[in-house]
Amino acid sequence: MKTQRPRRVLVRTTKSRRSIAWTVGRVFVDVIAVLVVAVCVAAGEDSEEAGTVTASQSESPNFGILVAGDGAAETYAYCIVCHSERLVAQQGLTRQDWEEVIELMVEEHGMAPLAGPTLDRVLGYLSTHYGPDRPNFPLQ
Amino acid sequence: MPMDKSWPLEAPYLHAFFAADPVAADHAFFGRTSYADRRGFLRGAGLAAMAAMVGAAIPFHRNMPVGFIPAVFADEAVLVGKDGLTLLNDRPLNAETPPHLLDDPITPTPRHFIRNNGIPPSEADPDTWTLTIDGLVDRPMTLSIADLQSRFEVVTLALAIECGGNGRAFFEPPARGNQWTYGAVACSEWTGVRLKDVLGAAGVQPNVVYTAHVGADGHLSGQPDKLPISRGVPIAKAMTDNVLIAFGQNGGPIHPMNGAPLRLVVPGWPGSCSQKWLRRISLRDVVHDGAKMTGTSYRVPSYKIEPGEKVDKTEFVIIERMPVKSLITHPANGVAVGRAVEVRGHAWSGDRMVAAVDVSYDFGATWIPAALDAPANDGAWQNFRANVVLPAAGYYEIWARATDSAGMMQPHAIDWNPKGYLNNTMHRVALRVS
Repeated sequence: MKTQRPRRVLVRTTKSRRSIAWTVGRVFVDVIAVLVVAVCVAAGEDSEEAGTVTASQSESPNFGILVAGDGAAETYAYCIVCHSERLVAQQGLTRQDWEEVIELMVEEHGMAPLAGPTLDRVLGYLSTHYGPDRPNFPLQ
Repeated sequence: MPMDKSWPLEAPYLHAFFAADPVAADHAFFGRTSYADRRGFLRGAGLAAMAAMVGAAIPFHRNMPVGFIPAVFADEAVLVGKDGLTLLNDRPLNAETPPHLLDDPITPTPRHFIRNNGIPPSEADPDTWTLTIDGLVDRPMTLSIADLQSRFEVVTLALAIECGGNGRAFFEPPARGNQWTYGAVACSEWTGVRLKDVLGAAGVQPNVVYTAHVGADGHLSGQPDKLPISRGVPIAKAMTDNVLIAFGQNGGPIHPMNGAPLRLVVPGWPGSCSQKWLRRISLRDVVHDGAKMTGTSYRVPSYKIEPGEKVDKTEFVIIERMPVKSLITHPANGVAVGRAVEVRGHAWSGDRMVAAVDVSYDFGATWIPAALDAPANDGAWQNFRANVVLPAAGYYEIWARATDSAGMMQPHAIDWNPKGYLNNTMHRVALRVS
């Protein structure tokens, strides 16, 4: 099951177009995240129903270099609006550090706000797979 | 470098990114802006950059569709025009050079590391590029590159640039940011004019304390009112002889990802001081507070801390000169060698000379002085070499340790700081003698 990379909605051209693009981008980040999650869930359901899934098909959808896991889709969708997931995957931070990073991204760098269960899933994913014990570093 | 903490260069991202959004990808990677009919690219920077990357003019460029990736790049990733670099991040582009590929006394352009903070500009035409000098100057001015070349003395200097976060990958606990290992350092020959000559012509007012640099790269979020990075230096540093406004690298054009067509080169200070795609320098009567000047960016605590310790933002100070350091560029880490080995590398210390480099092959128990060259000029790194004869077959590590003109020596252990800067610990290279 292929999952399309979320479109990069931000295109810098003229000043006014950039501004519009940015506003539109912020509004759509949540939509993209929801779509990505929906696609993933659908992929999982299809696989179960079909019952004839090969090993490669049953693997989680590909979120670039991010390892599979609960919350990978949301993490990917929110982060890659501005930067590659490679920047995420290089880190080894505690849950508290990750929370600070997300605050910084929202407050300083125009990331769409994250809260509630989505924030929990993202923080859980990041601190599990990209925590200080660095289970996935160096990148493979 | 199989024994290094390094990553394979992976190519699929270029194609995936283009598939997802060809217009954005054109812009981000090649600086291309297409015509309204989505065929061909507007003349100027994007086309020039692409021509430079493929190595020839493109007569039928008007026929290229949006998102077109020239076949010559098919097997390469985003590191066009670079040779052997390790990709850390493809957006923004960050890539470092494995130590054994930094063996040249002067770093060739294809082996100069890349540290981007934002999206490179779409317009990078040297014929239309301008630099504005303003703020607290008597005569604000806007200059073309041709103006710079005709009005000021053009000089070529070998200048060492090291990223402030070089070596961050070895911090424990890990520090946030790109996980550079060894290779975010280079010493190319840069051609340009002295910053002090240009500022002198503009007339530095007596109350100036700091410069503020602005480049043409865009913020990653696309927000038009945000700069990805805007740093500066104390005016005294700006007025030293070896700070250049550069328009040439190693006798040719600056590589697009190294800041073409115009950049600052501030040797010996964190690379972030050397603003790329330079459009404006303002002089200020306060310490500059632009993007990545404040908070904890390019700053370390003012006192020594325990690894992992939390430090309040107000306790951080701006990094100025980079500390004494050396890099072994030959032999490569992990190779098999005979008993006689020539060890080569470079050493540098911001705003200082390196006085000595010593090498050890017995885990630091004894040290051999290396032959150390004078720098090509003030601001260049210094090359060293030592002939080592290893006593018997087995596993060895070559360590190198530089000492600078102020008597400062490279340490064994990392002086841990929250953002992972200034790792100048000794470089170790493993050898097997059979």
